[in-house]
Amino acid sequence: MRQTVALFVDAYRELNHRRLFWITIVLSGLVVAGFAAIGNDEEGLTVLHWSIPFPFVSTNFIPEADFYKFTFAQLGVGYWLAWIATIIGLVSTASIFPDFVDRGSIDLMLSKPIGRARLFFTKFLTGLMFAGLQVAVFALASFLVIGLRGGDWEPWIFIAVPLVLVFYSYLFAVQAAIGLVTGSVIASVIGVFLFWFVVSLVQTGDGITLAWRITNEISSERKIVRVEKQEGRVMDTSARLVDLRLAADGGDAEAADQLPELELELVKKRERLDTITCELAEEIETLDLSQSINGWFHIANTCLPKTSETIDLLARLLEDYAGLMRPAAPADDTVRQFGEMVGRGEFQERFDAELDASHGPFWILGTSLGFEALVLGFAVWRFRRRDF
Amino acid sequence: MHEKTSSMSSGPSPSPPTAPTESEGGREYAVDLHDVRKSYKGKVHALRGIEMKAQRGEIFGLLGPNGAGKSTLVKIMLTVVRPTRARGTILGRPIGHQATLGRVGYLPEKHRFPIYQTGRQAIEFVGAMSQVDAKTCRNKADELLDLVGMSDWGDKKVSTYSKGMLQRVGIAAAMVNDPDLVVLDGPTDGVDPVGRKDIRDVLVKIRDRGACVFLNSHLLSELEMVCDRVAILVQGEVAAQGTIEELTSASRRYEITIAGSPPDWTDHNGLSLTSLPGPLDGTSTLALPTAEANEIQDILDQLRRENRTIVSLRPVRETLEDLFMRYVHDPETGRAKAPGAIRNIQASKGGDA
Repeated sequence: MRQTVALFVDAYRELNHRRLFWITIVLSGLVVAGFAAIGNDEEGLTVLHWSIPFPFVSTNFIPEADFYKFTFAQLGVGYWLAWIATIIGLVSTASIFPDFVDRGSIDLMLSKPIGRARLFFTKFLTGLMFAGLQVAVFALASFLVIGLRGGDWEPWIFIAVPLVLVFYSYLFAVQAAIGLVTGSVIASVIGVFLFWFVVSLVQTGDGITLAWRITNEISSERKIVRVEKQEGRVMDTSARLVDLRLAADGGDAEAADQLPELELELVKKRERLDTITCELAEEIETLDLSQSINGWFHIANTCLPKTSETIDLLARLLEDYAGLMRPAAPADDTVRQFGEMVGRGEFQERFDAELDASHGPFWILGTSLGFEALVLGFAVWRFRRRDF
Repeated sequence: MHEKTSSMSSGPSPSPPTAPTESEGGREYAVDLHDVRKSYKGKVHALRGIEMKAQRGEIFGLLGPNGAGKSTLVKIMLTVVRPTRARGTILGRPIGHQATLGRVGYLPEKHRFPIYQTGRQAIEFVGAMSQVDAKTCRNKADELLDLVGMSDWGDKKVSTYSKGMLQRVGIAAAMVNDPDLVVLDGPTDGVDPVGRKDIRDVLVKIRDRGACVFLNSHLLSELEMVCDRVAILVQGEVAAQGTIEELTSASRRYEITIAGSPPDWTDHNGLSLTSLPGPLDGTSTLALPTAEANEIQDILDQLRRENRTIVSLRPVRETLEDLFMRYVHDPETGRAKAPGAIRNIQASKGGDA
């Protein structure tokens, strides 16, 4: 315990020594100050004493407390903490592990009565202090702003602390492993940003291909209905033609006169059926392709940490537990996406259902933490086996 | 004497404690190593079966040319490097026994304290990592800063320290846990002569407290001044080990410088003389291979009987540097043995020059 405390105290001294840590804290303060300066009233957005008529954010549409919670979740956490502060944090903490394994400093640490695995994990946790302190200060300041300005003292705001910390830990684990293996600060910085970029691409790819798949599913289902209807029409016409032929064979002159016209109609309907059957085949082919590509993206996404989706959990949790208003359902109009006309409402409903089914909180956190455990496991294995 | 050792290979692992090993004199061995080997990828043999013992209450010097394996050996003792094979004990416990490391102080070669720490914080941090409680750490930091002459600098950042000051704080940090074994890798590197004298005094104090000081240094004259025993490591093997007295006894002799040419007799009462050119023109030097003063009295009498002028008489003994140079040179070629580890066993057998 004494060693753990010493390592944390030393990590705090190290943070305290880094200018970027204090720069980020000051910037966080400015973000919260900006957050406190804005608000909404019956007319729209307010900035200090000025009122900007912007009806979509007026209190008629979104209550004051929800406005602040929404701004906190989407802008404060979604952009500031999850992007800008994280970038600064990763740059700032990039040297922790390369410095740690540097000759002259690691020798002394390894010669002390502490196991290598414990030493590594403690050092890793101390590295998370940067993100932990930043998000804790930001959440506390935001809690006060939402309480004082929005009149809602919402403790669920602090759920941002573990969520952002977990999100940061995915990236920091990769950074720590690269730093440990290469001993290079530059490799740690470039490596982790490259990794984050790839992870973001895969997540975006998973989302886009899921949307493509669902669009194709809707489109194919619609086409199947059209084919079935057309088949019904062809069968009706065929039945009518049979009846007409029987009548004509029985000497009904009027029926005989109608025969060519009905035969032509049947031919046209069959041609139409053939056309939409071909279209359906193409649709199904595209659907298969979209399912396959989405499947691969989903597998890749499952294997990698879900950075954006972890941060998005904050809004979900605030909606579920802190009474944050859910976004209004989209209008049930039809829009063209991926070359198909689909109903926005239907699409959104199916997309959300699919997300709930295949991208639930347990899947997001479980698979991401699983990846982190693998990376840390590899790093500690290397650390334990390595000579310094 | 009861000696129990444990073996390990490919990494330190917790092993059951063993009884302390004792030297012939009854003192516990602080370091008792057997068959310590380290090879990298089976090709580079850094250490090739090291046998070494260092007692408590002595300063033990480890010498060797660059790449001889000194630092590797020290790192194996302190679990920084995993041996390929090793048996033996450190402070009576198997190598790698974690709790024992709390009784060891270490100053690594080219050690580096984080620049955000002050000297005092560096000492206290090392103490905490050695599981010394906070209050003791604080008290020891004051005491040790005073001991190494850094009291006025203790609260300044180490980034403002000179190399010599860093070494002093490093030595203080190595002593914060009142260790029974202090391993110092190049403690006087970059330290001025006054600082070196101070450090030597500190080392003697540590020894007098009953601890073993295990010194790894290139500065042979420094080692000669403080070491009770030394080991010379050459190409991953112990070339010689013992007290400086023991190691240089074979080379002890008397040199008599006389005016004029050397006598024509070359032995006297069974003691052979070797004639050498004298240090001055018109002088000769007679070398007598003995450490006993009474054995040369007859020769002096004989020289006087021959009315020869005795210019000087001095006992001569190899210096540690002479000894070192003797071991690191190949006796067949007369050239220095190749520095560094042995690439393969055949290379070492085939000659290294």
